[in-house]
Amino acid sequence: METLLVITIFLPLVGAAMMWPFAALGRMYVRWAALAVTLVTLVLTCVLVQNFPADGSDAGQFAVVSDTWVQTAAFDIEFSVGLDGLGLWLFAISAVLMVTSVLVSWRAITSRAALFYAMLLLLEFGCLGVFSARDIILFYVFFEFTLIPLFFLIGIWGSSERRYAAVKFFLFTLAGSLLTFLGLLAIVIWHAGHTGEVTFSIPRLTESLSELALRGDGMSQSLQMWIFVALMAGFAVKVPLFPFHTWLPLAHTEAPTAGSVFLAGILLKIGTYGFLRFNVPMLPDATIYFTPWILGVSAVGIIYGALVALAQSDMKRLIAYSSVSHLGFCMVGVFALNHLGVQGGTLQMVNHGISTGALFALIGMLYERYHTREIRKLGGVARRTPVLALFMLLFALSSIGLPGTNGFAGEFLLLIGMFQRAFFDLPEMWSGGNMRVLFWTVSIAALFGVVMGAWYMLWLVQRIFFGPLREPEDDKHHEVVRDLSLREVMALVPLAVLVIWIGVWPKFFLDRMQPTLNQSTHAVQMRLSSPVTLDSQLSTLDPPPSTRSD
Amino acid sequence: MFVELDTIRWLWPEIVLVILASWIYVGHTFRQDRLAWTIVAAAAYVVAGFALFWQVWTSGPEFWIAFQAGQGFSSGPLSIDFLGTGIRWLAVAMGLLFTLVGSQLTSRESAGEFFATLMLLVVGIMLVASADELVLLFVGLELISIPTYVLLVLGRRGRANAEASAKYFFLSIFSSAILLYGLSFLYGVTGTTNLSQVELPRIAAASAGGMSHLLPSAIAMVLILSGLGFKIAAVPFHFYAPDVYQGTTNANAGLLAVAPKIGGIVALVRLTFVLAPHLAEFAWQMTIVLCVLSMTIGNICALWQTNVRRLMAYSSIAHAGYMLIGLAAGLAAPESGGVAATLLYLLVYVLASLGTFAALAYLGSEESEVGELDELAGLGRRQPAAAGAIAVCMFSLAGIPPLAGFWGKLSLFAGAITVWNEPLERGGSLWFIVLAVAGAINAAIAAAYYLRVVSVMFFRAPTSEVPAKGGIGAWSAMAACCVLVLLIGFLPGQFVRFADIAGKAAIRKKTGAEWISTAEPQKQRHVLQARAERIPADSP
Repeated sequence: METLLVITIFLPLVGAAMMWPFAALGRMYVRWAALAVTLVTLVLTCVLVQNFPADGSDAGQFAVVSDTWVQTAAFDIEFSVGLDGLGLWLFAISAVLMVTSVLVSWRAITSRAALFYAMLLLLEFGCLGVFSARDIILFYVFFEFTLIPLFFLIGIWGSSERRYAAVKFFLFTLAGSLLTFLGLLAIVIWHAGHTGEVTFSIPRLTESLSELALRGDGMSQSLQMWIFVALMAGFAVKVPLFPFHTWLPLAHTEAPTAGSVFLAGILLKIGTYGFLRFNVPMLPDATIYFTPWILGVSAVGIIYGALVALAQSDMKRLIAYSSVSHLGFCMVGVFALNHLGVQGGTLQMVNHGISTGALFALIGMLYERYHTREIRKLGGVARRTPVLALFMLLFALSSIGLPGTNGFAGEFLLLIGMFQRAFFDLPEMWSGGNMRVLFWTVSIAALFGVVMGAWYMLWLVQRIFFGPLREPEDDKHHEVVRDLSLREVMALVPLAVLVIWIGVWPKFFLDRMQPTLNQSTHAVQMRLSSPVTLDSQLSTLDPPPSTRSD
Repeated sequence: MFVELDTIRWLWPEIVLVILASWIYVGHTFRQDRLAWTIVAAAAYVVAGFALFWQVWTSGPEFWIAFQAGQGFSSGPLSIDFLGTGIRWLAVAMGLLFTLVGSQLTSRESAGEFFATLMLLVVGIMLVASADELVLLFVGLELISIPTYVLLVLGRRGRANAEASAKYFFLSIFSSAILLYGLSFLYGVTGTTNLSQVELPRIAAASAGGMSHLLPSAIAMVLILSGLGFKIAAVPFHFYAPDVYQGTTNANAGLLAVAPKIGGIVALVRLTFVLAPHLAEFAWQMTIVLCVLSMTIGNICALWQTNVRRLMAYSSIAHAGYMLIGLAAGLAAPESGGVAATLLYLLVYVLASLGTFAALAYLGSEESEVGELDELAGLGRRQPAAAGAIAVCMFSLAGIPPLAGFWGKLSLFAGAITVWNEPLERGGSLWFIVLAVAGAINAAIAAAYYLRVVSVMFFRAPTSEVPAKGGIGAWSAMAACCVLVLLIGFLPGQFVRFADIAGKAAIRKKTGAEWISTAEPQKQRHVLQARAERIPADSP
């Protein structure tokens, strides 16, 4: 498995390099080669998933490869990859969505195709790396590396405002992630100074830091808070949390279809993934301190994203704002900080990748037919393209969270988690009057967000696909509008299968991620749920934790 | 005491280069053949590089082991350690690359002069790198400056060029005078011009008397920092850079961005650590001020530039600021790895900067230079290789992984955060986290203009043709830099270790304890051997 994982990660990189010789042969060869590479990557990923322990036990040990990368007296950075319950499904979805991305670009990309597919494959390489990296520096390298291919994808093949969108996307993300970088370094260096063990390994740091925190020998709360804020700077932009979301609609609207699919499907998840990978397990006290704030901002994001989505006249912008809203759900789930919420939030990351990725692909297909993204220029399109309409309805329903689709499984879990936290299990520190109201408001806002999601999504489908037939009148398109070709159906089928699969049998997915998630929230849960036992455990230690955490 | 046979042996590469430079000067008057002199000059660098390897190789394995532990010894006015040797390699490589860049771009009449002057400049850097003597250090720095004046005048004729040369000449002389004054104070405080013979107890005794006794060393520190601040174009000694870069050719601008920076940083590392033990706090505080100012002003001014050379000038000012982060960290807490970070950053900056200027030079021709950013529009289609090389260098300068610049930034920030994490009595300070945050914010600002260059090249339609007559020489220099940037990016291990060793050599010197003289070569070898047996635990 170890070798297989490394091959899977590096295959897209090799594929990207292969685009160079293929470029001379012509566009046809280039895209078939790219498709072949992504398909092989997908098959290898399936083998990995199939071999992953079904109950998620020992998940931290699956397919771990470690090798020295940079070693000096001061550093010991390893090239260390492996899959665990948190990374597994995002890793797998990256491989699936890349096939979709290649297929939807089949006819849309006419200029510089070799460079385009090379950039897509580099992007896949980066994402597979991010979700499997077990070394902090390696994670960061992949994390930042994903910016370069997407920058070119948006800037070269985007629509009219593409230059501005590409630069804005890059700078927003970079500005945040540089602070994240400082935060990550601070964790490593603090740990090295405190314990004398210089390690960049994520599992090792997680284990050691939560152990220290539970022993009452961890970072001081103020230090944790500073580092938390630094880490959050990058992840919040990536998610995007409410006030930092302005780059997202622009980047989505200007990007080529494949870019939007992958940006929405995978890259946004790196933010939530980062929160779960670093903030929550490594900085438990700061997590508890900031949870009400983050929940509040996420709730604002849910409602704001939904309201703005309602007001959009551009289909792609509508889906982009719906992403802001949906990622708010993921954040609410994660920061409910109980088992159900975190599981729901993580599952919802995967779900959002599938359904929003598919929605962007569908809108790209509509755009190829009508050369417009204006909602009011279209109507009753279901008569022309019934299959497209069918898929649209399916993914819209999955995005809303209809029972039986994947969205339901995720949203239901995370909402239960949030309600449990707010109404039944509110820890003492948050049970003051205002805090209680905040938690209630957040859970009700999230519920309300689901309703609004149904509203804008169904309204979109109704306006475009049903009612009297209306098509753009400009002369641009003379040819008869055809329904989906086999290629386009093939791009959507894997996603549709996943929608139903996760909807009907979420246990398959949850079982594999559960142990890892429980582990990563362990320290926080200990702090939250049983302060009494914690005190009794620590009563012999000096100084007492109560003074420390203040 | 000054000249020993051993010293001559260590100076072989420099001597070869000076002899060949003189030969080229003379020969060029008889035969004005650009290609022939390019080959001679390139061969000279290859020979010098080989001589450098040979020196280390013939000194035996125990010598190399001692080198790796960051140890060294002095031979007459030279200090033989990895800091010196590493920078000498870098200087020779730089000379070779610039010779290639100039191979088809210098005018036929002055080609030989260009190559020979460049060679003397390289010798200047090499002398600074291994100088253990204030006088030699100063002579080395002048040997960097004076050929630079000549090269600037040798560039294109014209008002802008004349202005650039005059400006650089006067300010450079001025800064040399300031530095020399600083060195005289240093001599007054320490009583010796030999850096490794500085007697720490003597300074310590002087410092025991309070600030009034420290004043001369403080003055020395201020003057040295300002004199060398000019060489590395740190704010507020940066005013000449944009005008001079803009007024001259791309090859010369590249040289200005790279050569004085190497010399200045090495001299700073060598000099500040002599005074550091009792002036550390004063020194790092001053360095931090210079550093934050340089980064911020350099980056913000670069945002509005439309001329590529001007943009790169401000970028080089900002990078001088980044390099000072490491120096400040090293001064505050020598074990933080700050100096190693500065040296690694110097390496990656030199490569990316040189690559950019080589590519720009390649895009121009003997008659016309590429200057305005708009001229680069659509380059991604017309000159994919050059555009790709510039993009790689830009991303590296912006510090995006997995390119070389990222590892430079990583080690700088790690150094600063390490100092912050140290307990107060060991030099820790909260200011270093401020410094790291300032560095991070600046890196984001810097990305804005580097991205602008990339976006002009790749996202805009072509407007005008570029000549692209730099020839195979400039092309291969550009490609070599680009490949090295990628190589360091993907496999930084060995380079990070080299910087680490060189940094150790710089710090080790400060303590003075490990220092040995070459008076008794036999005994010295013995000492080295004995030490080599002791170190394995220490050496990586």
